[in-house]
Amino acid sequence: MPGMNSGVNVNDPTVIAAFKSALLHQGLIALLIFAVLGLAWITVRSWWQATAGAGGQAAPAAGQAAAGPAVPLPAAEPGWRQLLRVGFGALWIFDGILQAQPKLAIGLPSQVIEPIAASSPAWVQHVVNWAGTTWSYHPLEAAAATVWIQIGIGVWLLAAPSGALSRLAGLASVGWGLVVWAFGESFGGIFAPGLTWLFGAPGAVLIYCVVGALIALPQRLWHSPLVGRAVLAGTGLFLVGMAILQAWPGRGFWQGSSHHGPGTLAGMTASMARTPQSAVLAGLIRAFTSFEEAHGFAVNLFAVTVLAVIGVLFLTGRPRLVRPAVIAFSVLCLADWVLVEDLGFLGGLGTDPNSMIPFILLAAGGYLALAAGGYLGLSPSPAPAPAPAPAVTAPGWRDRVRPASLRRDVAAASFRSVAAIGAVGLIILGAAPMAAAQASPNADPILAEAIAGSTASLNFPAKPFLLTNQRGQPVSLASLRGKVVLLTFLDPVCTSDCPLIAQEFRAAGQLLGPDARKVELVAIVANPVYHQLAYTQAFDRQEHLTSVPDWLFLTGSVPQLRQVWANYGIAAQILPAGSMVAHNDVAYVIDRAGHVREELSTDPGPGTTATRSSFAVLLAGAARQVLGAS
Amino acid sequence: MTRPARLGPVLAPVPLVAALLISVLLVAGCAGTTGQARQASPAAPPPLATARVTATGTWAVVVMGGSAASHGNFWQVFVRPAGASDWRLVTPPAVASNGGLVLASPGTGPVVAAFRPSQLLSYSPLAITHDNGTAWSPGLLDARLADTPDALAAAPGTGRLLALLAGGQTELSGPAGTGWARLVSQHQLAGTADAARCGLRGLTAVAFGVSGVPMVAGTCGRPGTVGVFAHASGGWQLAGPALPAADAAASVSVLRLTSTTHATVALLASGRGRAARLAVATLAAGHWSLSPPLPVNGSAPASASIGAAGTAVLLTSRRAETVSPGGSWRALPPPPAGTAVLAPGADGGWDALVVHRARLTVWQLAPGARRWVAGQVISVPIEYGTSG
Repeated sequence: MPGMNSGVNVNDPTVIAAFKSALLHQGLIALLIFAVLGLAWITVRSWWQATAGAGGQAAPAAGQAAAGPAVPLPAAEPGWRQLLRVGFGALWIFDGILQAQPKLAIGLPSQVIEPIAASSPAWVQHVVNWAGTTWSYHPLEAAAATVWIQIGIGVWLLAAPSGALSRLAGLASVGWGLVVWAFGESFGGIFAPGLTWLFGAPGAVLIYCVVGALIALPQRLWHSPLVGRAVLAGTGLFLVGMAILQAWPGRGFWQGSSHHGPGTLAGMTASMARTPQSAVLAGLIRAFTSFEEAHGFAVNLFAVTVLAVIGVLFLTGRPRLVRPAVIAFSVLCLADWVLVEDLGFLGGLGTDPNSMIPFILLAAGGYLALAAGGYLGLSPSPAPAPAPAPAVTAPGWRDRVRPASLRRDVAAASFRSVAAIGAVGLIILGAAPMAAAQASPNADPILAEAIAGSTASLNFPAKPFLLTNQRGQPVSLASLRGKVVLLTFLDPVCTSDCPLIAQEFRAAGQLLGPDARKVELVAIVANPVYHQLAYTQAFDRQEHLTSVPDWLFLTGSVPQLRQVWANYGIAAQILPAGSMVAHNDVAYVIDRAGHVREELSTDPGPGTTATRSSFAVLLAGAARQVLGAS
Repeated sequence: MTRPARLGPVLAPVPLVAALLISVLLVAGCAGTTGQARQASPAAPPPLATARVTATGTWAVVVMGGSAASHGNFWQVFVRPAGASDWRLVTPPAVASNGGLVLASPGTGPVVAAFRPSQLLSYSPLAITHDNGTAWSPGLLDARLADTPDALAAAPGTGRLLALLAGGQTELSGPAGTGWARLVSQHQLAGTADAARCGLRGLTAVAFGVSGVPMVAGTCGRPGTVGVFAHASGGWQLAGPALPAADAAASVSVLRLTSTTHATVALLASGRGRAARLAVATLAAGHWSLSPPLPVNGSAPASASIGAAGTAVLLTSRRAETVSPGGSWRALPPPPAGTAVLAPGADGGWDALVVHRARLTVWQLAPGARRWVAGQVISVPIEYGTSG
């Protein structure tokens, strides 16, 4: 998938250090957000109490309506909603913490998204590639955004038990969940062959979305039995479908092993067992793999039967059947979570605990909703108290934004509401830099810095040269005085690095915009055999450099070139047996007065679209810096 | 308020229909992975690994090193100077050879090596030697050379070159390999009357005739017609041999077309599968002679080399056959495992160049001998990782 993989090492210390630093800074800002909100809340409350005391009015208790028109008290949150809200709030926070793994900044596209998408159809890969490319262009912003958005949604869910803020938290969960499901999980792999519930179909985050939608339901539906029936029926239907799929012949689940090696399921678990993790867990998974290899048919028969039976029991909606089914389902999920999914987050770069815990919560929530509807013969949850008729008409928006009204609202807000607003701040904290980065089509220079290492600041006179440009005209360094010169050395018959570097120079020229006319992009031939004018011209045509106004590809006789190479520390070495000429990839930034001001490594590394763009940004930045200084 | 009575009728039919839909969708999504049936491809030219004989020596091109996927494959040129018994490595320097090397020579005079472009390079550097590869001077074909062993030809005397490009065009250079100009494209050629008679499907080789006439060759869709065209009198004319009536029913591909100092030699393939046969046609003194057909039972030649006198030697998997102009096919003893190229030997026998990663072993077969004997070993100093 082009573009998705930046090609930079996931353990690159430059990127990891920058990611940690970004998280630390944003973490401090997050604390500041909560501190400011808390202080504002306390201050306004104190001020209101003083004012109200002086005026003989009682200050409102937290969570209660302040003086003014009568506002209905929020209804008690039913148990099923509380379970789902708290459970999935905690899951989002856990996922956010997992996203803070340093390797994920570079590794998520290549080691998480790409492997999942690899077996999906081309259109899925196309969609996923867009997101992966975006991530690989801005790895720090994207990784940090994911951390704060997920933690923010989690805190929001935990902090807001009722009211519009709570429902909005559910919608936020749906929205972000769909983003993660589509782009991060390749639509949960539902379009890929080998789909199985045992390994997480239809994608854990799709369950987050379903639950988010349930949390966003209007308050009048909280106590409706429809919710419980619909959740269980939907889950049951899904499980029956999964049982059919699991039983479908030819998909390899009936064989524990074949003459090629382990069967489908055993192959999956064997690969999970090989990932770095505790010996105990790896041993458990290996034991299950061996068992599966020996008794593949029986294992699949058990899985198909149990899934089908539980699915049918859920579909009946009969409480006395649902209760044991939920218990059995939970046990099955836990077993699968440990033995097949490897706890979800332990294999490789885990970003969530996979689907089984969400499934347990969803089924338990459905059961509680059913119970709350009185279907188990238990006492139904108290229905919301009828709201007292308002004494006066509710205030309009103009009244609500008046300072006095605002002060009153802030003073009346609960601690939980303040925390929920702080959580929204967390989401914005993550999303805003990512949105700003996404607005730029250029990659973050951190990728180039990771590949090339740090640049060296210098200040000495550049050695003169007199060579011939691609049009056959003489060009000296002195003739370029007054312009900043980005100077590099290229082999016109090079098959890998030099064409990439030339493209990076071309892109840097474009990034410079109006400043480009103050910068000369200069390359000097770095091949002692293929150095003729015909080759610089052929190279320019190949790299579409013929129409770049400030591009010079200089050459000369071999003695002339050797002198320039020596002056600029270039070792152009002929290697035997079909290798291209070896030379160092380096660029110099020469200021308008002819002084070398900076030396950069231009080794293009993997040469992906992201790294090329990143190098172009780095080169353009270096030229701008010298332009500004001179 | 609870309304259980309405739930059953509402939900009951939905699961059945939806389960069916989900199952069909999932199964359709998960089971639809069958590949397309493969069609048998027409006979293709052999790989670039080949040998040729010039007045100054015997040349061989082989690929060594590691995997092409990781750019660990490095094509090499070896020469055994005329009169010498040992081969030496003479790969032209300063260009990555991962894309392949094609040699051209009129038989006397310089030898030209063309680098096929690889990775991000899109044109073909040339290297020319007049001293058996001791020194090479650069040249340039600003285009992508085709991936066939006869994609480049050198004219006797003039130093002009003829190149077949990857897109099916041909280009002709001026003297000394400079100043390239379009000669003809496959599309243009197909529009001529003679090519219409042939039903031209693709070009596979270029050559200069002994008299210096540019020639191109390809695959004819019309059965029994050999797609060799000569550029004469300002136009293109079919110039291939006439095939016997027994071969009139099969379409013919020209796998190789090359000239020695005295003759132009074409390797022809016809038929498919068990009916696949090869033949060598030799044009000398204005007349074609055709070898008997060689059944190859569906196996494609791994290497095909032409000797100075027009003698052809074919290498298939563990099988070697040779034929001289006007003669019959003669099986050579099975060549050693790993044989990349068979080349005419120093004393009238044959040399088998056996490649194992960076080591080349020359096995020799003396005239009339029944066993190959291991001889010279050359360790090639491949610099892995220099082209990736």
